[in-house]
Amino acid sequence: MAEIAASVPAQANALRRDAAGPSGTKPRHVLSRRNIFLYGTLIMVALYYLLPLYVMVVTSLKGMPEIRLGNIFSPPLEITFEPWVKAWSQACTGLNCDGLSRGFWNSVRITVPSVLLSIAIASVNGYALANWRFKGADTFFIILIVGAFIPYQVMIYPIVIILREIGIYGTLTGLVIVHSIFGMPILTLLFRNYFTSMPEELFRAARVDGAGFWGIYLRIMLPMSMPIFVVAIILQVTGIWNDFLFGVVYTRPDTYPMTVQLNNIVNSVQGVKEYNVNMAATILTGLVPLIVYFVSGKLFVRGIAAGAVKG
Amino acid sequence: MAAAIANPSVSIQDLSLNFGVMSVLKTLNLDVAEGEFIVLLGPSGCGKSTLLNCIAGLLDISEGRIFIKGKNVTWEEPKDRGIGMVFQSYALYPQMTVEKNLSFGLRVAGVPKDEIAKRIARAAEILQIEPLLQRKPSALSGGQRQRVAIGRALVRDVDVFLFDEPLSNLDAKLRSELRVEIKLLHRRLQNTMIYVTHDQIEAMTLADRIAVMKGGVIQQLDAPQTIYNRPVNRFVAGFLGSPAMNFLKGELEAGDVPVFKADGISVPLGRYAFDGDNGRAARPCIFGIRPEHIALGDAAKAMPFTAESTVEIVDPMGSDTLVWTKLGGQIVSFRVEADKMLSNGDAIRIGFDPARASLFDAQSDSRL
Repeated sequence: MAEIAASVPAQANALRRDAAGPSGTKPRHVLSRRNIFLYGTLIMVALYYLLPLYVMVVTSLKGMPEIRLGNIFSPPLEITFEPWVKAWSQACTGLNCDGLSRGFWNSVRITVPSVLLSIAIASVNGYALANWRFKGADTFFIILIVGAFIPYQVMIYPIVIILREIGIYGTLTGLVIVHSIFGMPILTLLFRNYFTSMPEELFRAARVDGAGFWGIYLRIMLPMSMPIFVVAIILQVTGIWNDFLFGVVYTRPDTYPMTVQLNNIVNSVQGVKEYNVNMAATILTGLVPLIVYFVSGKLFVRGIAAGAVKG
Repeated sequence: MAAAIANPSVSIQDLSLNFGVMSVLKTLNLDVAEGEFIVLLGPSGCGKSTLLNCIAGLLDISEGRIFIKGKNVTWEEPKDRGIGMVFQSYALYPQMTVEKNLSFGLRVAGVPKDEIAKRIARAAEILQIEPLLQRKPSALSGGQRQRVAIGRALVRDVDVFLFDEPLSNLDAKLRSELRVEIKLLHRRLQNTMIYVTHDQIEAMTLADRIAVMKGGVIQQLDAPQTIYNRPVNRFVAGFLGSPAMNFLKGELEAGDVPVFKADGISVPLGRYAFDGDNGRAARPCIFGIRPEHIALGDAAKAMPFTAESTVEIVDPMGSDTLVWTKLGGQIVSFRVEADKMLSNGDAIRIGFDPARASLFDAQSDSRL
């Protein structure tokens, strides 16, 4: 009995030492069939998506004679930034011939206050709905969410009348208010879900500590909810910057946002079609959302994962 | 029930709480004496945490009144009630350092800076968290977090401490350590403390009095020993004690000496202290005896009641051994020292003193 018992571990040891089986890190095959397929597909899709952007950049750097040759995929023989300068400061829209710069500053003046106002209101909305279960909170929330599903087009004309009656039709103030209102349902939903996912006991502890509605919001909730604020800022900046419909309806030529001006440049029917200027103008207009995505891509994904999907 | 308390620190009068049609707390009355340590004990969903939240003012009650220190605080905000609360999940503000966590309430209340520093120093000294003051909660262990959470209640200089299952998130070792610390803290501060738990060991060790709750009603409010030895009903008897009390179904036979009869056994109840005249009327009843009150072998012979039986299962638990056998045709467990060598099928003699048993009415489940 004792002999057998002693020999079993010895055998196991011998087995472990002698066998030349796998040990240590698993070797990686860089050029495996799986990798080739995976990266091949990804590269193909990326190229497919990037091709139009490539054409735009390339065309915007060519002079008109070169464009007329028709080789849209070929790189520029002679790089010129003339179209970019023209698009920014000389292109004509209607009576104004100061390029997109006017629209850019209009868009900034529309986007910044709209983003700040809508997020400020919606975050407090979401906080109140999530933590202070006031009477009728659920009804209020449902009405707000239904608002997100009503097509904008239905409300355009009534809002024109309302703005006219108040006396702010055609002004930037009017457009800022419109943007803030239309951002409300989705932003409130976003913030409500985020605040709901926070531990309830934290809120209770703050109440026992004597903090009130604003105290808890500003000193406890706000510092904890940076990811969701980043998400909201990105959604609103890109949404409002890219908006065309409200911009064209609620402003006048002097106060047109960049997108409306871009449309007017690109779609003008007089004179020669300056493709290079059009391309440069389009890239300029799309640059702001593009930069926002590049700068905050990681934060955006994290914030979406943290709050928006839950609930 | 204990006699009425003259100057209760916390007094709850006819408190009811309804969520819609569901009634969570039912006309509840509770007086807590100055400096008393009360434990609200019960299974989950019994309303114990809800009651604590009502006392804290975090839930609006449907009916009744709450007094703290003689002041009617029924409609007061939590901060104006003179309470400090410790939560199960610690609920520390993650973006603030320990020091800022401790001082948050004081800063909100506008307490002068030197006073804040003084109170934090005192709390940190009591709880031995001085080296942690500049850390964020995420850099603390569970036990340290809960200590900070207790500190947050401490600095508020309040009359009443409320604990909502403060040790449930900790591992077993830390739990018993902090349990002792809370007990020492209570001895040092002499504050009124109301402590919610589902852990009977916490309840037995900490409480001056335990309120056992079920279905939004306090079943029994008494000193831990009384609750353990003389439970008022079958629920309390079964909830306290581990391993749980044995229950035998049978009949109570009235007479000069009342007798409990089950299949094959009859236990004379001459030594059992009946409530009033309950021993006079025959009725179906349930006989309860705790595993630790059943003796084995020679010790059993000295007991007023003995019976022969055989071992069914042996459960060694380390410090002692739980043995399962049959008495009156029903399964019964009892405790023996770990060095008693018993194996399945052994013939044994067990015995107990009926004075230590509890007898319950089979219909109402209340103590006879």
